[in-house]
Amino acid sequence: MRFLLKRLGFYAVAFLVAATFNFMIPRMLPGNPADIMLANSGGMIAPEAREALMATFGFIDAPLHEQYISYLGSIFTWDFGLSIKFYPMPVTDVLMQALPWTLFLTGAALTISFSVGTLLGILAAWRRGQLTDAIASPTALALQSVPSVVVALCGLYFLSVRNRVFPTSYAFDPKLDPAFSWEFFSSVAYHGFLPVVTLSVVLVGGYLITMRNNMIGQLGEDYLAMAEAKGLSDARVRYAYAARNALLPSVTALALSFGALFGGSLITEVVFNYPGVGNLLYLGIVGRDFPLIQGQLLIMTLAMLLANLAVDLAYVFLDPRLKRA
Amino acid sequence: MQDLLRTFLRNRKAAIGLTIVLAYVLIALVAPLIAPFDPIARVGRPHQAPSAEHWLGTTRMGRDVFSQLIWGTRTSLMVGIVAGLIVTAIGTFIGITAAYFGGLVDDVLNFFTNVVLVLPQLPLLLVLAAFLGQVGPWAIALIIGLTSWAWGARVTRAQAMSLKTRDFIQAAAMIGEPTWRMILVEMLPNLLSIIGFNFIGSVIFTIITEATLEFLGLGSPLALSWGTMLYNAQTASAIMVGAWWEVLAPCGAIVLIGIGLSLMNFGVDEIANPRMRTLGNVAKALRIEKRLLRQRMQEANQ
Repeated sequence: MRFLLKRLGFYAVAFLVAATFNFMIPRMLPGNPADIMLANSGGMIAPEAREALMATFGFIDAPLHEQYISYLGSIFTWDFGLSIKFYPMPVTDVLMQALPWTLFLTGAALTISFSVGTLLGILAAWRRGQLTDAIASPTALALQSVPSVVVALCGLYFLSVRNRVFPTSYAFDPKLDPAFSWEFFSSVAYHGFLPVVTLSVVLVGGYLITMRNNMIGQLGEDYLAMAEAKGLSDARVRYAYAARNALLPSVTALALSFGALFGGSLITEVVFNYPGVGNLLYLGIVGRDFPLIQGQLLIMTLAMLLANLAVDLAYVFLDPRLKRA
Repeated sequence: MQDLLRTFLRNRKAAIGLTIVLAYVLIALVAPLIAPFDPIARVGRPHQAPSAEHWLGTTRMGRDVFSQLIWGTRTSLMVGIVAGLIVTAIGTFIGITAAYFGGLVDDVLNFFTNVVLVLPQLPLLLVLAAFLGQVGPWAIALIIGLTSWAWGARVTRAQAMSLKTRDFIQAAAMIGEPTWRMILVEMLPNLLSIIGFNFIGSVIFTIITEATLEFLGLGSPLALSWGTMLYNAQTASAIMVGAWWEVLAPCGAIVLIGIGLSLMNFGVDEIANPRMRTLGNVAKALRIEKRLLRQRMQEANQ
């Protein structure tokens, strides 16, 4: 319990750091976002709106520390101001519409890549030097150094443009209305297939290599010889003994990979024009929609921290020693 | 040092990786001599397919893709190396300082490192770049360098911590060696493999991230790099009109250098961690054993 409380405190501070950073970026850099936006809007925003815009960024007529406090207040009341690109929708609403798609994309890709990568890593280590290892390990190594942009663009070109197997954009057929129907869900699966696979391909190599290295680290241990001597089946020794212990560092690596997961999802969403928060960030940047950009960054940070918390919980489950600590 | 180099080259993965990387370095150095065309001049019709004259075709602007690729190698490598150096310097400094001094220094630095690690990096970089406006390759190198050191700091710290408990370090401390000597002479040389690993990894990361940022349109469109090639291809809808060469050429360049660098890193890892090294030998031993067994069976049958 103390372990989890400590982690919770850590995440609270980390979120505060991110929020502070978010507060400082527009103030540290030359120009102010309201003027940039006015200049870019080409008359879309009336000059009278400048005051309101400034207030959106917390540029109120007050000393810096008061600005900061009012900014923090707006975060905790979940008020990120109004979006410029989707005016007059509040940033929170715009983001909440996109969030489920990103969670679907990252969740599916994470589940697939972590389970496939870990399983192959176990097998590669168990039969090291043999066929599984000889094929899987170098492939994983190569995949690890391939950027998601490349995988996504190649997938798009070969499977959506050249051979029209999959659609090139959207999360579901725009002719359909979201409904609890077979037609809708199959359309979502059909449109999501390529983005999910792309993202999984980018991630799977890292998990495979990590798990393989962890397993190799366990192989010489006495408790494995003991388990074998007891006459347990090969599979039982492999999964219930070696893999369970090797999984711990792999779970730490999982937490470290969330950055790559969200980064990869951002790229995938942009390339496949998938309506998640990553694509939204991109549209926000292109359209100079600063409230949207800042709100997105905070949501992304929150998602990262929650994902890390989930990993901590998994860790306690996998390593019972922590429950007593 | 020479010994280290020899061990490195004897490792097949490392040698292949080094060859690939050196080829890129060579291309970057002699780019003006080997590029067949001026990379920013209109030298052909728009979107010409690869031919004897234009090996990798032309862009929508009628520029030679092959020449752009060669010149882009320069930018991408330089950005990768500069950012890699910054990342490694900061990471090594923070990692060793935290491990060596321990106590409160360690607590503060470690906390700081962990906070940076849980922040979403790519979105953060995007936001920074967005507020800075379209930035040149050097600014991108600097931004990536200053924001990506946390992972390196963490692994260096872990390695330095275990090093600190070793007898020869304890002995050196007992003799009363000054701090700078302890760090620079006793610890640093023994951390070379993790530092090298960190550097190569950071170069890969930077090359990928630079290309990504530029692809998203956050780099200066005037720069000549793989990322801007991708960006120009994207804005010209090269994929949709079937001009695959404009997209696949920079993709291939990025993938190949990534593979070269990670092969080198695999080599570094195997040298530093002997357990990884025996893999090839185990396979070989198994094969020999099988062959012997088969021979014996045949002899027994005869």
